[in-house]
Amino acid sequence: MAVLTVNDLCKTFGAGTARSNRVLDHISFDVRGQTFVSIVGPSGCGKSTLLNIISGVETHTSGAISVTSDDGRPARLGYVFQDPRLLPWRTVRKNMMYVQDKDDEVTRGRVDRYLDMVGLGKHGDFWPGQLSGGMQQRVGIARAFAVEPDLLIMDEPFSHLDAITARGLRAQLQDIWAQSKKTVVFVTHDVVEAVELSDRIIVLQPGGRIYEDITIDLPRPRRQSDPAVATLQAEVLARLEKMKAMTPQVAASV
Amino acid sequence: MTATIPTRRSTEEQASAIPSWRRVLGSEVAARVTFYVTAFLLWVALAAAFERVPGPLSVVDSLVTEFSRGEVFSNFADTFYRFTIGVALSVIVGVVVGIVMGLSGLARAFFESPVLVGLSIPAIIWAFLTVMWFGFGDASPIVTTFLTAVPFVIVNVAQGVQGVSRDLRDMSSSYGVPLGRRVRDLVLPAVSGYVLAGVRFAVIIGWNGVLLAEWFGGSGGAGFRARYWYDANQFAGFAAWVILFVVVIVVLDQLVFERMARRAFRWRDAAHS
Repeated sequence: MAVLTVNDLCKTFGAGTARSNRVLDHISFDVRGQTFVSIVGPSGCGKSTLLNIISGVETHTSGAISVTSDDGRPARLGYVFQDPRLLPWRTVRKNMMYVQDKDDEVTRGRVDRYLDMVGLGKHGDFWPGQLSGGMQQRVGIARAFAVEPDLLIMDEPFSHLDAITARGLRAQLQDIWAQSKKTVVFVTHDVVEAVELSDRIIVLQPGGRIYEDITIDLPRPRRQSDPAVATLQAEVLARLEKMKAMTPQVAASV
Repeated sequence: MTATIPTRRSTEEQASAIPSWRRVLGSEVAARVTFYVTAFLLWVALAAAFERVPGPLSVVDSLVTEFSRGEVFSNFADTFYRFTIGVALSVIVGVVVGIVMGLSGLARAFFESPVLVGLSIPAIIWAFLTVMWFGFGDASPIVTTFLTAVPFVIVNVAQGVQGVSRDLRDMSSSYGVPLGRRVRDLVLPAVSGYVLAGVRFAVIIGWNGVLLAEWFGGSGGAGFRARYWYDANQFAGFAAWVILFVVVIVVLDQLVFERMARRAFRWRDAAHS
Protein backbone atom coordinates (compact mmCIF):
# COMPACT_ATOMS: atom_id res chain seq x y z
CA MET A 1 0.00 0.00 0.00
CA ALA A 2 1.08 3.56 -0.63
CA VAL A 3 1.04 7.04 0.83
CA LEU A 4 0.34 9.64 -1.84
CA THR A 5 0.72 13.26 -0.80
CA VAL A 6 -0.13 16.08 -3.20
CA ASN A 7 0.56 19.54 -1.82
CA ASP A 8 -0.33 22.81 -3.56
CA LEU A 9 0.35 21.24 -6.95
CA CYS A 10 0.19 23.39 -10.09
CA LYS A 11 0.73 22.46 -13.70
CA THR A 12 0.92 25.02 -16.49
CA PHE A 13 1.58 23.98 -20.07
CA GLY A 14 3.74 26.53 -21.92
CA ALA A 15 4.51 28.39 -18.69
CA GLY A 16 5.99 31.83 -19.35
CA THR A 17 4.70 32.00 -22.92
CA ALA A 18 1.75 33.83 -24.44
CA ARG A 19 -0.06 30.50 -24.81
CA SER A 20 0.39 29.31 -21.23
CA ASN A 21 -2.46 27.10 -20.03
CA ARG A 22 -2.89 26.23 -16.35
CA VAL A 23 -4.53 22.82 -16.04
CA LEU A 24 -3.95 22.13 -12.32
CA ASP A 25 -4.35 24.96 -9.83
CA HIS A 26 -3.12 24.51 -6.25
CA ILE A 27 -4.30 20.95 -5.75
CA SER A 28 -3.81 19.37 -2.33
CA PHE A 29 -4.94 15.97 -1.06
CA ASP A 30 -3.51 12.77 0.29
CA VAL A 31 -4.38 9.12 -0.03
CA ARG A 32 -3.14 6.34 2.22
CA GLY A 33 -3.80 2.68 2.99
CA GLN A 34 -6.15 0.37 1.14
CA THR A 35 -8.22 3.18 -0.32
CA PHE A 36 -9.91 3.42 -3.69
CA VAL A 37 -10.01 7.08 -4.73
CA SER A 38 -11.70 8.27 -7.90
CA ILE A 39 -10.92 11.57 -9.56
CA VAL A 40 -13.94 12.83 -11.42
CA GLY A 41 -14.48 15.88 -13.57
CA PRO A 42 -15.37 17.16 -17.00
CA SER A 43 -13.10 16.76 -20.02
CA GLY A 44 -10.07 19.04 -19.85
CA CYS A 45 -10.12 19.58 -16.07
CA GLY A 46 -6.67 18.01 -15.66
CA LYS A 47 -7.53 14.47 -14.47
CA SER A 48 -5.16 12.65 -16.82
CA THR A 49 -2.44 15.29 -16.33
CA LEU A 50 -2.65 14.69 -12.59
CA LEU A 51 -2.23 10.94 -13.13
CA ASN A 52 0.72 11.52 -15.44
CA ILE A 53 2.37 13.67 -12.79
CA ILE A 54 1.75 11.02 -10.12
CA SER A 55 3.26 8.35 -12.36
CA GLY A 56 6.26 10.52 -13.29
CA VAL A 57 5.52 10.70 -17.02
CA GLU A 58 4.78 14.45 -16.68
CA THR A 59 6.54 17.06 -14.51
CA HIS A 60 4.68 19.60 -12.35
CA THR A 61 5.23 23.36 -12.46
CA SER A 62 5.11 24.06 -8.71
CA GLY A 63 4.04 22.47 -5.44
CA ALA A 64 5.06 19.08 -4.16
CA ILE A 65 4.11 15.48 -4.71
CA SER A 66 5.39 12.33 -3.07
CA VAL A 67 4.50 8.69 -3.51
CA THR A 68 5.99 6.27 -1.02
CA SER A 69 5.08 2.83 0.18
CA ASP A 70 3.54 2.73 3.66
CA ASP A 71 6.93 1.63 5.07
CA GLY A 72 8.66 4.68 3.60
CA ARG A 73 10.52 3.28 0.57
CA PRO A 74 9.79 4.64 -2.96
CA ALA A 75 6.47 3.26 -4.13
CA ARG A 76 6.13 0.71 -6.93
CA LEU A 77 3.47 1.86 -9.40
CA GLY A 78 1.06 -0.08 -11.58
CA TYR A 79 -0.76 1.66 -14.41
CA VAL A 80 -3.92 0.76 -16.30
CA PHE A 81 -4.51 2.98 -19.32
CA GLN A 82 -7.59 3.87 -21.36
CA ASP A 83 -6.42 1.39 -23.98
CA PRO A 84 -4.54 -1.80 -23.12
CA ARG A 85 -1.13 -0.70 -24.49
CA LEU A 86 0.15 -4.22 -25.14
CA LEU A 87 3.14 -4.97 -27.37
CA PRO A 88 1.45 -6.70 -30.33
CA TRP A 89 4.54 -8.82 -31.12
CA ARG A 90 4.71 -10.37 -27.63
CA THR A 91 2.35 -12.97 -26.27
CA VAL A 92 0.04 -12.11 -23.36
CA ARG A 93 2.37 -13.73 -20.80
CA LYS A 94 5.46 -12.05 -22.30
CA ASN A 95 3.66 -8.69 -22.21
CA MET A 96 3.12 -9.16 -18.50
CA MET A 97 6.74 -10.22 -17.98
CA TYR A 98 7.95 -7.13 -19.91
CA VAL A 99 7.17 -4.83 -16.95
CA GLN A 100 8.36 -7.17 -14.19
CA ASP A 101 11.59 -6.52 -12.29
CA LYS A 102 12.68 -10.16 -12.36
CA ASP A 103 12.27 -13.15 -14.62
CA ASP A 104 12.17 -16.01 -12.13
CA GLU A 105 9.82 -18.78 -11.04
CA VAL A 106 8.14 -16.65 -8.39
CA THR A 107 7.41 -13.84 -10.85
CA ARG A 108 6.16 -16.21 -13.53
CA GLY A 109 3.90 -17.86 -10.96
CA ARG A 110 2.52 -14.48 -9.91
CA VAL A 111 1.89 -13.49 -13.54
CA ASP A 112 -0.03 -16.73 -14.12
CA ARG A 113 -2.01 -16.23 -10.90
CA TYR A 114 -3.21 -12.77 -11.99
CA LEU A 115 -4.00 -14.04 -15.47
CA ASP A 116 -6.16 -16.68 -13.78
CA MET A 117 -7.83 -14.00 -11.63
CA VAL A 118 -8.94 -12.06 -14.72
CA GLY A 119 -10.13 -15.30 -16.35
CA LEU A 120 -7.34 -15.49 -18.95
CA GLY A 121 -5.29 -18.33 -17.50
CA LYS A 122 -5.56 -20.27 -20.75
CA HIS A 123 -4.64 -17.31 -22.96
CA GLY A 124 -1.06 -16.72 -21.81
CA ASP A 125 0.40 -17.85 -25.14
CA PHE A 126 -2.04 -15.86 -27.29
CA TRP A 127 -0.99 -12.76 -29.23
CA PRO A 128 -2.88 -9.60 -28.17
CA GLY A 129 -4.39 -9.37 -31.66
CA GLN A 130 -6.13 -12.70 -31.06
CA LEU A 131 -8.07 -11.28 -28.08
CA SER A 132 -11.14 -9.03 -27.94
CA GLY A 133 -10.88 -5.45 -26.65
CA GLY A 134 -12.31 -6.46 -23.27
CA MET A 135 -9.87 -9.37 -22.93
CA GLN A 136 -6.94 -7.11 -23.84
CA GLN A 137 -8.02 -4.64 -21.15
CA ARG A 138 -8.17 -7.52 -18.65
CA VAL A 139 -4.55 -8.29 -19.56
CA GLY A 140 -3.75 -4.62 -18.87
CA ILE A 141 -5.38 -4.89 -15.44
CA ALA A 142 -3.63 -8.19 -14.65
CA ARG A 143 -0.31 -6.65 -15.74
CA ALA A 144 -0.78 -3.74 -13.36
CA PHE A 145 -1.64 -5.97 -10.38
CA ALA A 146 1.13 -8.45 -11.20
CA VAL A 147 3.90 -5.91 -10.55
CA GLU A 148 2.59 -5.92 -6.95
CA PRO A 149 2.29 -2.14 -6.94
CA ASP A 150 1.99 -0.06 -3.80
CA LEU A 151 -0.10 2.40 -5.82
CA LEU A 152 -2.31 1.42 -8.73
CA ILE A 153 -3.16 4.21 -11.17
CA MET A 154 -6.10 3.71 -13.52
CA ASP A 155 -6.92 6.20 -16.27
CA GLU A 156 -10.50 5.68 -17.51
CA PRO A 157 -9.77 1.98 -18.09
CA PHE A 158 -13.32 1.08 -19.12
CA SER A 159 -14.20 4.10 -21.24
CA HIS A 160 -13.50 2.32 -24.55
CA LEU A 161 -15.54 -0.77 -23.72
CA ASP A 162 -19.20 -1.56 -24.23
CA ALA A 163 -21.49 -1.28 -21.18
CA ILE A 164 -21.81 -5.00 -20.48
CA THR A 165 -18.08 -5.71 -20.75
CA ALA A 166 -17.33 -2.68 -18.59
CA ARG A 167 -19.79 -3.82 -15.91
CA GLY A 168 -18.18 -7.28 -15.80
CA LEU A 169 -14.71 -5.80 -15.51
CA ARG A 170 -15.78 -3.41 -12.73
CA ALA A 171 -17.06 -6.36 -10.71
CA GLN A 172 -13.83 -8.25 -11.40
CA LEU A 173 -11.75 -5.22 -10.41
CA GLN A 174 -13.57 -4.93 -7.08
CA ASP A 175 -12.90 -8.61 -6.33
CA ILE A 176 -9.19 -8.42 -7.18
CA TRP A 177 -8.78 -5.15 -5.30
CA ALA A 178 -10.45 -6.63 -2.19
CA GLN A 179 -7.94 -9.51 -2.27
CA SER A 180 -4.82 -7.53 -3.14
CA LYS A 181 -5.21 -4.58 -0.73
CA LYS A 182 -3.78 -1.86 -2.98
CA THR A 183 -4.05 1.91 -2.90
CA VAL A 184 -5.87 2.90 -6.08
CA VAL A 185 -6.23 6.26 -7.82
CA PHE A 186 -8.85 5.91 -10.53
CA VAL A 187 -9.74 8.57 -13.08
CA THR A 188 -13.17 8.54 -14.68
CA HIS A 189 -15.75 10.92 -16.07
CA ASP A 190 -18.47 8.43 -15.16
CA VAL A 191 -19.96 9.31 -11.75
CA VAL A 192 -21.98 6.08 -11.62
CA GLU A 193 -18.78 4.07 -12.02
CA ALA A 194 -16.99 6.20 -9.41
CA VAL A 195 -19.69 5.63 -6.77
CA GLU A 196 -19.73 1.89 -7.43
CA LEU A 197 -15.97 1.53 -7.01
CA SER A 198 -14.69 4.23 -4.67
CA ASP A 199 -14.17 5.01 -1.01
CA ARG A 200 -13.59 8.64 -1.94
CA ILE A 201 -14.40 10.82 -4.92
CA ILE A 202 -12.34 13.94 -5.60
CA VAL A 203 -14.20 16.21 -7.99
CA LEU A 204 -12.07 18.48 -10.18
CA GLN A 205 -13.64 21.51 -11.78
CA PRO A 206 -12.58 23.28 -14.98
CA GLY A 207 -9.39 25.20 -14.36
CA GLY A 208 -8.00 22.30 -12.37
CA ARG A 209 -9.20 23.02 -8.84
CA ILE A 210 -10.70 20.59 -6.37
CA TYR A 211 -14.43 21.29 -6.15
CA GLU A 212 -15.34 18.65 -3.60
CA ASP A 213 -13.91 15.65 -1.77
CA ILE A 214 -16.74 13.16 -1.16
CA THR A 215 -16.54 10.11 1.10
CA ILE A 216 -18.49 7.05 -0.09
CA ASP A 217 -19.41 5.01 2.93
CA LEU A 218 -21.20 1.99 1.50
CA PRO A 219 -20.60 -1.70 2.19
CA ARG A 220 -18.80 -3.85 -0.41
CA PRO A 221 -19.13 -5.59 -2.77
CA ARG A 222 -21.32 -3.00 -4.48
CA ARG A 223 -23.50 -3.54 -7.48
CA GLN A 224 -25.29 -0.89 -9.53
CA SER A 225 -28.62 -2.58 -8.85
CA ASP A 226 -28.21 -1.96 -5.09
CA PRO A 227 -30.72 0.81 -4.08
CA ALA A 228 -28.22 2.43 -1.69
CA VAL A 229 -25.67 2.69 -4.50
CA ALA A 230 -28.28 4.12 -6.87
CA THR A 231 -29.40 6.71 -4.27
CA LEU A 232 -25.83 7.86 -3.64
CA GLN A 233 -25.13 8.02 -7.35
CA ALA A 234 -28.13 10.33 -7.77
CA GLU A 235 -26.93 12.47 -4.88
CA VAL A 236 -23.40 12.84 -6.27
CA LEU A 237 -24.80 13.60 -9.71
CA ALA A 238 -26.96 16.33 -8.19
CA ARG A 239 -23.90 17.90 -6.57
CA LEU A 240 -22.10 17.85 -9.90
CA GLU A 241 -25.11 19.45 -11.57
CA LYS A 242 -24.83 22.20 -8.99
CA MET A 243 -21.14 22.65 -9.88
CA LYS A 244 -22.09 22.74 -13.54
CA ALA A 245 -24.64 25.48 -12.85
CA MET A 246 -22.03 27.51 -10.99
CA THR A 247 -19.45 27.13 -13.76
CA PRO A 248 -21.36 27.41 -17.06
CA GLN A 249 -18.37 26.45 -19.18
CA VAL A 250 -18.39 22.92 -17.74
CA ALA A 251 -18.80 20.46 -20.57
CA ALA A 252 -21.88 18.31 -20.66
CA SER A 253 -19.74 15.26 -20.13
CA VAL A 254 -20.12 15.29 -16.34
CA MET B 1 -48.63 -10.59 -50.63
CA THR B 2 -45.84 -12.50 -48.94
CA ALA B 3 -42.29 -12.80 -50.14
CA THR B 4 -40.20 -15.90 -49.59
CA ILE B 5 -36.62 -15.29 -48.57
CA PRO B 6 -34.44 -18.04 -49.99
CA THR B 7 -32.35 -19.94 -47.45
CA ARG B 8 -28.88 -18.48 -47.46
CA ARG B 9 -25.91 -20.80 -47.28
CA SER B 10 -22.85 -20.32 -45.09
CA THR B 11 -19.49 -19.63 -46.71
CA GLU B 12 -18.38 -23.18 -45.83
CA GLU B 13 -21.45 -24.63 -47.56
CA GLN B 14 -20.87 -22.38 -50.56
CA ALA B 15 -17.21 -23.45 -50.76
CA SER B 16 -18.02 -27.14 -50.56
CA ALA B 17 -20.64 -26.72 -53.31
CA ILE B 18 -17.98 -25.49 -55.78
CA PRO B 19 -16.36 -28.32 -57.79
CA SER B 20 -12.68 -28.87 -56.92
CA TRP B 21 -11.47 -28.06 -60.47
CA ARG B 22 -13.16 -24.63 -60.22
CA ARG B 23 -11.59 -24.01 -56.82
CA VAL B 24 -8.12 -24.79 -58.31
CA LEU B 25 -8.72 -22.47 -61.27
CA GLY B 26 -9.82 -19.69 -58.95
CA SER B 27 -6.74 -19.95 -56.69
CA GLU B 28 -3.77 -17.55 -56.44
CA VAL B 29 -1.44 -20.31 -57.65
CA ALA B 30 -3.52 -20.61 -60.80
CA ALA B 31 -3.26 -16.84 -61.33
CA ARG B 32 0.54 -17.02 -61.08
CA VAL B 33 0.78 -20.03 -63.39
CA THR B 34 -1.50 -18.25 -65.86
CA PHE B 35 0.87 -15.29 -65.93
CA TYR B 36 3.94 -17.45 -66.59
CA VAL B 37 2.17 -19.43 -69.32
CA THR B 38 0.87 -16.23 -70.97
CA ALA B 39 4.32 -14.61 -70.83
CA PHE B 40 5.90 -17.70 -72.34
CA LEU B 41 3.35 -17.87 -75.16
CA LEU B 42 3.84 -14.14 -75.86
CA TRP B 43 7.58 -14.70 -76.02
CA VAL B 44 7.15 -17.57 -78.50
CA ALA B 45 4.83 -15.40 -80.63
CA LEU B 46 7.22 -12.42 -80.59
CA ALA B 47 10.15 -14.66 -81.49
CA ALA B 48 8.18 -16.06 -84.43
CA ALA B 49 7.21 -12.57 -85.61
CA PHE B 50 10.53 -10.73 -85.17
CA GLU B 51 13.91 -11.99 -86.26
CA ARG B 52 15.78 -10.04 -83.56
CA VAL B 53 13.82 -11.59 -80.70
CA PRO B 54 15.48 -14.90 -79.75
CA GLY B 55 13.12 -17.81 -79.15
CA PRO B 56 13.07 -19.98 -76.00
CA LEU B 57 15.00 -22.83 -77.62
CA SER B 58 17.95 -20.68 -78.72
CA VAL B 59 18.06 -19.01 -75.28
CA VAL B 60 18.08 -22.37 -73.51
CA ASP B 61 20.82 -23.49 -75.87
CA SER B 62 22.89 -20.41 -74.94
CA LEU B 63 22.28 -21.04 -71.26
CA VAL B 64 23.50 -24.63 -71.55
CA THR B 65 26.59 -23.44 -73.40
CA GLU B 66 27.37 -20.80 -70.74
CA PHE B 67 26.95 -23.36 -67.96
CA SER B 68 29.13 -25.91 -69.75
CA ARG B 69 31.90 -23.33 -70.24
CA GLY B 70 31.82 -22.50 -66.51
CA GLU B 71 30.98 -18.88 -67.26
CA VAL B 72 27.85 -18.74 -65.12
CA PHE B 73 29.31 -19.66 -61.74
CA SER B 74 32.60 -17.76 -62.10
CA ASN B 75 30.89 -14.55 -63.25
CA PHE B 76 28.14 -14.76 -60.65
CA ALA B 77 30.80 -15.34 -57.98
CA ASP B 78 32.40 -12.02 -58.98
CA THR B 79 29.05 -10.26 -59.04
CA PHE B 80 27.92 -11.63 -55.68
CA TYR B 81 31.19 -10.64 -54.05
CA ARG B 82 30.70 -6.99 -55.14
CA PHE B 83 26.96 -7.06 -54.52
CA THR B 84 27.30 -8.49 -51.00
CA ILE B 85 29.87 -5.89 -49.94
CA GLY B 86 27.81 -3.04 -51.44
CA VAL B 87 24.53 -4.17 -49.85
CA ALA B 88 26.14 -4.93 -46.49
CA LEU B 89 27.67 -1.44 -46.39
CA SER B 90 24.37 0.16 -47.36
CA VAL B 91 22.51 -1.76 -44.63
CA ILE B 92 25.06 -0.89 -41.92
CA VAL B 93 25.24 2.80 -42.86
CA GLY B 94 21.50 2.98 -43.64
CA VAL B 95 20.40 1.49 -40.30
CA VAL B 96 22.71 3.76 -38.28
CA VAL B 97 21.78 6.95 -40.18
CA GLY B 98 18.10 5.93 -40.23
CA ILE B 99 18.01 5.44 -36.44
CA VAL B 100 19.77 8.79 -35.86
CA MET B 101 17.34 10.51 -38.27
CA GLY B 102 14.38 8.89 -36.56
CA LEU B 103 15.48 10.01 -33.10
CA SER B 104 16.81 13.51 -33.76
CA GLY B 105 15.12 16.41 -35.53
CA LEU B 106 18.52 18.01 -36.07
CA ALA B 107 19.87 14.89 -37.79
CA ARG B 108 16.69 14.73 -39.87
CA ALA B 109 17.21 18.30 -41.04
CA PHE B 110 20.84 17.52 -41.90
CA PHE B 111 20.30 14.26 -43.79
CA GLU B 112 16.93 14.95 -45.44
CA SER B 113 18.32 16.70 -48.53
CA PRO B 114 21.19 14.31 -49.32
CA VAL B 115 18.82 11.34 -48.91
CA LEU B 116 16.32 12.94 -51.27
CA VAL B 117 19.09 13.56 -53.81
CA GLY B 118 20.20 9.94 -53.42
CA LEU B 119 16.67 8.68 -54.02
CA SER B 120 16.29 10.75 -57.16
CA ILE B 121 19.51 9.65 -58.89
CA PRO B 122 19.01 6.46 -60.91
CA ALA B 123 21.44 3.55 -60.73
CA ILE B 124 22.64 4.14 -64.29
CA ILE B 125 23.96 7.61 -63.39
CA TRP B 126 25.85 6.21 -60.40
CA ALA B 127 27.25 3.50 -62.67
CA PHE B 128 28.58 6.10 -65.16
CA LEU B 129 30.00 8.29 -62.38
CA THR B 130 31.74 5.48 -60.49
CA VAL B 131 33.31 4.11 -63.68
CA MET B 132 34.67 7.61 -64.34
CA TRP B 133 35.92 7.91 -60.75
CA PHE B 134 37.26 4.41 -60.08
CA GLY B 135 37.78 2.91 -63.54
CA PHE B 136 37.39 -0.81 -64.26
CA GLY B 137 37.54 -3.04 -61.19
CA ASP B 138 35.64 -3.97 -58.06
CA ALA B 139 35.30 -0.45 -56.64
CA SER B 140 32.83 0.83 -59.26
CA PRO B 141 30.15 -1.86 -58.81
CA ILE B 142 30.56 -1.89 -55.01
CA VAL B 143 30.18 1.88 -54.72
CA THR B 144 27.31 1.92 -57.23
CA THR B 145 25.47 -0.75 -55.24
CA PHE B 146 26.05 1.16 -52.01
CA LEU B 147 24.99 4.57 -53.36
CA THR B 148 21.91 3.16 -55.08
CA ALA B 149 20.69 1.18 -52.08
CA VAL B 150 21.58 3.26 -49.03
CA PRO B 151 18.89 6.00 -49.37
CA PHE B 152 16.14 3.36 -49.39
CA VAL B 153 17.43 1.75 -46.19
CA ILE B 154 17.76 5.16 -44.48
CA VAL B 155 14.23 6.28 -45.36
CA ASN B 156 12.63 3.02 -44.20
CA VAL B 157 14.54 2.79 -40.92
CA ALA B 158 13.93 6.48 -40.07
CA GLN B 159 10.20 6.00 -40.67
CA GLY B 160 10.22 2.91 -38.47
CA VAL B 161 11.95 4.66 -35.57
CA GLN B 162 9.58 7.62 -35.78
CA GLY B 163 6.67 5.19 -35.84
CA VAL B 164 7.42 3.55 -32.46
CA SER B 165 4.19 4.10 -30.54
CA ARG B 166 4.28 7.00 -28.07
CA ASP B 167 1.69 5.17 -25.96
CA LEU B 168 3.94 2.12 -25.65
CA ARG B 169 6.93 4.29 -24.78
CA ASP B 170 4.89 6.05 -22.08
CA MET B 171 3.68 2.71 -20.76
CA SER B 172 7.29 1.54 -20.51
CA SER B 173 8.29 4.73 -18.68
CA SER B 174 5.37 4.41 -16.25
CA TYR B 175 6.50 0.92 -15.29
CA GLY B 176 10.17 1.91 -15.18
CA VAL B 177 11.19 -0.69 -17.78
CA PRO B 178 15.02 -0.56 -18.12
CA LEU B 179 16.43 1.04 -21.30
CA GLY B 180 18.09 -2.14 -22.57
CA ARG B 181 14.83 -4.09 -22.35
CA ARG B 182 12.94 -1.24 -24.03
CA VAL B 183 15.35 -1.24 -26.98
CA ARG B 184 15.30 -5.05 -27.25
CA ASP B 185 11.59 -5.70 -26.75
CA LEU B 186 9.96 -2.47 -27.93
CA VAL B 187 12.11 -0.45 -30.36
CA LEU B 188 13.80 -3.25 -32.32
CA PRO B 189 10.63 -5.30 -32.97
CA ALA B 190 8.76 -2.11 -33.89
CA VAL B 191 11.48 -1.17 -36.38
CA SER B 192 12.25 -4.66 -37.70
CA GLY B 193 9.53 -4.58 -40.35
CA TYR B 194 10.87 -1.30 -41.71
CA VAL B 195 14.47 -2.55 -41.64
CA LEU B 196 13.40 -5.66 -43.51
CA ALA B 197 11.54 -3.60 -46.11
CA GLY B 198 14.60 -1.32 -46.45
CA VAL B 199 16.98 -4.24 -46.93
CA ARG B 200 14.60 -5.79 -49.44
CA PHE B 201 14.60 -2.56 -51.46
CA ALA B 202 18.36 -2.32 -51.06
CA VAL B 203 18.83 -5.80 -52.50
CA ILE B 204 16.58 -5.19 -55.52
CA ILE B 205 17.92 -1.70 -56.25
CA GLY B 206 21.50 -2.73 -55.45
CA TRP B 207 21.23 -5.66 -57.87
CA ASN B 208 20.36 -3.19 -60.63
CA GLY B 209 23.31 -1.05 -59.57
CA VAL B 210 25.92 -3.81 -59.57
CA LEU B 211 24.82 -5.15 -62.98
CA LEU B 212 24.85 -1.69 -64.54
CA ALA B 213 28.29 -0.89 -63.15
CA GLU B 214 29.62 -4.21 -64.47
CA TRP B 215 27.96 -3.53 -67.83
CA PHE B 216 29.71 -0.20 -68.24
CA GLY B 217 32.95 -0.72 -66.34
CA GLY B 218 33.35 -4.34 -65.33
CA SER B 219 36.22 -6.63 -66.18
CA GLY B 220 34.11 -9.65 -65.24
CA GLY B 221 30.80 -10.49 -63.62
CA ALA B 222 27.26 -11.16 -64.75
CA GLY B 223 26.67 -7.63 -66.09
CA PHE B 224 29.96 -7.74 -67.97
CA ARG B 225 29.08 -11.11 -69.53
CA ALA B 226 25.66 -9.85 -70.68
CA ARG B 227 27.41 -6.87 -72.30
CA TYR B 228 29.82 -9.28 -74.01
CA TRP B 229 26.94 -11.07 -75.81
CA TYR B 230 25.22 -7.78 -76.56
CA ASP B 231 28.37 -6.38 -78.21
CA ALA B 232 28.75 -9.66 -80.15
CA ASN B 233 25.23 -9.13 -81.49
CA GLN B 234 24.25 -12.53 -80.04
CA PHE B 235 20.82 -11.81 -78.58
CA ALA B 236 20.19 -15.36 -77.41
CA GLY B 237 23.28 -15.18 -75.16
CA PHE B 238 22.25 -11.74 -73.93
CA ALA B 239 18.70 -12.92 -73.19
CA ALA B 240 20.08 -15.96 -71.31
CA TRP B 241 21.89 -13.66 -68.89
CA VAL B 242 18.84 -11.42 -68.47
CA ILE B 243 16.88 -14.51 -67.46
CA LEU B 244 19.57 -15.42 -64.95
CA PHE B 245 19.45 -11.87 -63.46
CA VAL B 246 15.72 -12.20 -62.95
CA VAL B 247 15.89 -15.74 -61.54
CA VAL B 248 18.53 -14.73 -58.97
CA ILE B 249 16.49 -11.82 -57.62
CA VAL B 250 13.22 -13.76 -57.56
CA VAL B 251 14.83 -16.70 -55.73
CA LEU B 252 16.53 -14.35 -53.26
CA ASP B 253 13.31 -12.48 -52.58
CA GLN B 254 11.07 -15.52 -52.22
CA LEU B 255 13.45 -17.81 -50.34
CA VAL B 256 15.10 -15.31 -48.04
CA PHE B 257 12.97 -12.20 -47.61
CA GLU B 258 9.54 -13.80 -47.77
CA ARG B 259 10.57 -16.22 -45.04
CA MET B 260 12.16 -13.51 -42.92
CA ALA B 261 9.05 -11.34 -43.25
CA ARG B 262 6.78 -14.26 -42.33
CA ARG B 263 8.83 -14.91 -39.21
CA ALA B 264 9.05 -11.23 -38.21
CA PHE B 265 5.28 -10.74 -38.58
CA ARG B 266 3.99 -14.09 -37.36
CA TRP B 267 2.15 -12.27 -34.53
CA ARG B 268 0.22 -10.26 -37.11
CA ASP B 269 -0.63 -13.28 -39.26
CA ALA B 270 -1.82 -15.19 -36.18
CA ALA B 271 -4.06 -12.29 -35.18
CA HIS B 272 -5.75 -12.30 -38.58
CA SER B 273 -6.08 -16.07 -38.95
